[in-house]
Amino acid sequence: MNNPTVNKTENRDYLIPEMAPELERGPRWLRDVRRRSREAFNSAPVPHRGLHLWRYTDPMTFLVDRSQVSDTDYGENFGAVEKIVREHVEHGNLAGVVTDLAGREIGFHGTEELCARGAVVTKLSEAATEHPELVEKYLYQLVNSACGKFEALNGALWNDGIFIYIPDGLVVEKPLHLLRESGLSGSAQYPRLLIVVGKNAELSVIDEYGGGSLDESQPSNTNSAVEIFGLADSRVRYVSLQRQAPGMHGYMTHRARIEQGATMLTVPLAFGGAVSKQNFGVILNGRHSESSMFGMLFGSGYQRFDNHTLHHHVSGETTSNIDFKVVLRDKATSAYTGLIRIENDARTCEAYQENRNLLLNSGTRAETIPELEILNEDVRCSHGATLGPIDPLSIFYLLSRGIDEAEAVRMIVSGFVIPTLQQVPKNLRDRIGSFVAQRLEGN
Amino acid sequence: MTDKQSLFEFKDIHVAVEDKEVVSGVSLTIAPGEIHAIMGPNGSGKSSLSNALMGHPDYAITKGEAYLDGRNILDMSADQRSRAGLFLAFQYPLAIPGVSVANFMRAALKSHRGKDANMSDFRKLFKAEMKALSVDESFATRYLNDGFSGGEKKRIEILQLSMLQPKMALLDETDSGLDIDALKTVSEGINRFHSDANGILLVTHYQRLLNYVKPQHVHVMMHGKFVKHGGPELALKLEELGYEWVAQELAEKARV
Repeated sequence: MNNPTVNKTENRDYLIPEMAPELERGPRWLRDVRRRSREAFNSAPVPHRGLHLWRYTDPMTFLVDRSQVSDTDYGENFGAVEKIVREHVEHGNLAGVVTDLAGREIGFHGTEELCARGAVVTKLSEAATEHPELVEKYLYQLVNSACGKFEALNGALWNDGIFIYIPDGLVVEKPLHLLRESGLSGSAQYPRLLIVVGKNAELSVIDEYGGGSLDESQPSNTNSAVEIFGLADSRVRYVSLQRQAPGMHGYMTHRARIEQGATMLTVPLAFGGAVSKQNFGVILNGRHSESSMFGMLFGSGYQRFDNHTLHHHVSGETTSNIDFKVVLRDKATSAYTGLIRIENDARTCEAYQENRNLLLNSGTRAETIPELEILNEDVRCSHGATLGPIDPLSIFYLLSRGIDEAEAVRMIVSGFVIPTLQQVPKNLRDRIGSFVAQRLEGN
Repeated sequence: MTDKQSLFEFKDIHVAVEDKEVVSGVSLTIAPGEIHAIMGPNGSGKSSLSNALMGHPDYAITKGEAYLDGRNILDMSADQRSRAGLFLAFQYPLAIPGVSVANFMRAALKSHRGKDANMSDFRKLFKAEMKALSVDESFATRYLNDGFSGGEKKRIEILQLSMLQPKMALLDETDSGLDIDALKTVSEGINRFHSDANGILLVTHYQRLLNYVKPQHVHVMMHGKFVKHGGPELALKLEELGYEWVAQELAEKARV
């Protein structure tokens, strides 16, 4: 391959100026990291389109001309959030709701009880000063400028974020719901989330991303970073729900690290945006740790999805499993790249990965790229992928029982994504089911 | 019109698979309350005929007519044929992952009745039918045919038959893959379903199902055509002498 170099014709207005106000936020150590992230971002070349993980998406999609960013038009989207919050809190089946408006304003609703039990649910900016022993230890450990240009961008410019700490032994029975709303056309936001779940503690988080530009010709931009630490014997479920507006360009990097005996369930769900590039990774860092990912996305219109998953077995005697489902209609496209890496010292690991793509019509396109980097032979590892339309004979079977074709398709697609839906809390399951139904009806 | 009362009738049906003709002009009239059997060796076209009548996308009816209760079914899509009262029990029922037997059954009933069945009525009916067919209740929440044994699949087909109560049932090799106990259970299910008002067309290679479900009329199919018609005694003779016997008889006739 040619030596990837900076695109000569690129627009340099996206560079972060030295005087950017975000760089001044936080205590000294944080300001230092922000500055180093800025330098890393400004000096890193725009990834070449031939480069690994950039073959399917133009990196320029996620670069924002700072002079054109509008910081004003946030209000309209945020009205809807209040309604959702009220419904969620009134339902009483959540441990609380955290609202995140454009990575700037963080609000807390019904989280008092959880905090009274010793948990910390607060703004990342506040945590950086009030809990430096935790934040300095964990923030930027997994998502940082070493990951790439866009992770450096978030590292420098995140305005405010969410910090969740669950102390050792605390079991949080109900899910904690995070509602992140993006601004309208021309907006750019850099949400950031840090979660630390203590030893033998349990937490379930729903991380919902909504809002954004309604107009594809005047997009909005989101670049989010999520870091999750599951300490020994912890049990964590993280559900990411991306239902952003049609004009959103979304970039997300998620990394989790789990220690001995910990289990992690990651559920990436994606429905929205014009272009959505999401990277979910779990590092299995202690014996008997277990990670599962059950993902699904449903693309319609001209939506483009570019997803990566990583299971990195650093420790031996660890188990990972991925089931990633893709449904596409109209002219939607998806590229899925799933990497399993098993280190030389990580003996007797098990790792499984499956990516199934259902193409509802002939204008869609899906790519599936399994990647295995297995550095020892004492492992059990398998991967599989399928790609194609609904089997016409499955449809015929349902038709032969009187079920009409639209309903038959709905039942088969719903059945296709069921393994993923079963991993999310019941009330969310119904909502996701209705998203799937709406997409099938062409909305 | 034929002289007897017709429930299901097809005339001069030709079926092609990928432009190759596999059924070459068969006709039959079934009156309410009648049980007919089509018997024939493998590859005779009998399964193709039943699949084509149901509207299978791989089997094209290139010529002929078919009527259920006087309505032309060949103008209908497969789901319309089902709602009009036609049913096909498949030889190899497909697995539909993620769709539970109960949800599938509910959707099918809803499509037939035009509205959702009352939940408790549905449960009662469903449970009773499962019990009658010795289907364990756990099957209600299992995904349709997903990991089912051959015998379990056939029971579920007959369960669907008894729930949907079609006017005309085509049963394609329903006896294949069944042990003797399952064969009895399935046959009892078919006999329970059968009434003076409905019709059954059994499609089978072997005679053994006919010990339990008794047809009044037996039709032998070879090379895409009906070559012999008779009563139940014909099935027994076939069991004894094999299809070779019919083939020889045909050859002799051709010489005369």
